[in-house]
Amino acid sequence: MDLLDTLNISGSGLAAQRVRLQTVASNLANARTTRTAEGGPYRRRAAVFESNPIDNFGTQLDQALAQVEVAGIEIADQGGRVVHDPNHPDADANGYVTYPDINLLHEMVDLMTTSRSYEANANVVETTRDLALRALEIGR
Amino acid sequence: MTAFLFDTLTNGLEQVLDLRIQQHGLTATNLANADTPGFRARIIDFEDVLSEVVGQPEELPMLRSDPLHLSQASATDPEIIELEPTPWAEDGNSVQLERETARLNANALMYRGVSRGLSRRLAMLKYAASDGRK
Repeated sequence: MDLLDTLNISGSGLAAQRVRLQTVASNLANARTTRTAEGGPYRRRAAVFESNPIDNFGTQLDQALAQVEVAGIEIADQGGRVVHDPNHPDADANGYVTYPDINLLHEMVDLMTTSRSYEANANVVETTRDLALRALEIGR
Repeated sequence: MTAFLFDTLTNGLEQVLDLRIQQHGLTATNLANADTPGFRARIIDFEDVLSEVVGQPEELPMLRSDPLHLSQASATDPEIIELEPTPWAEDGNSVQLERETARLNANALMYRGVSRGLSRRLAMLKYAASDGRK
């Protein structure tokens, strides 16, 4: 392994967190969306992460080093939230509207942890750069 | 001659730098996978490997057939420990952001220190090789 592998790992972390940020943005933006292409209200999405060793056949260390990858973006809700609102155009015969099952608090907490994780990865990139520069200075 | 240029200390410092880089890679892995369900944080057991690299002669050292052979202690494949998740970690992930950030900084600090030590050592050799002139 070398420092470039480390940069790749941190890069995968940054990319994965950005995808997660996008799902949070999508969930927040669609918190009250009742019409979608698939029909019915918007369903809450969540990014699913999976760790992936950079080298399956190397030394113990090479196998321990793992990038993170987005395995998929899946629907993660428990059906919709039913509200009585007979004036809504999408209300059913009894006057009930199904809104997406999106909890603003939940999404905001997700937003914050995503942002912290992103920062942590960016911090590693910064430190990696510093270590590489230090290595170049040996013997100066 | 070789014993002077490549003595235990220089070799040791070099291997410690190598180990620090490897730990840095593991910390990067841990932080990248901080939100991966079931992921176990990985660290190098420094206590164990450092004594091997720079430390005390072991009770049963490996046989060296030639005194010019380099030390047998190796930092190329150190033992890696996987940390157990805390019981309240819902997704079975054992990465703790604060601990990893602290480890990142402590490790980088040690790297800087050791690389400076190695630089000093090379500077001393240079000084001696130029008859004490700058």
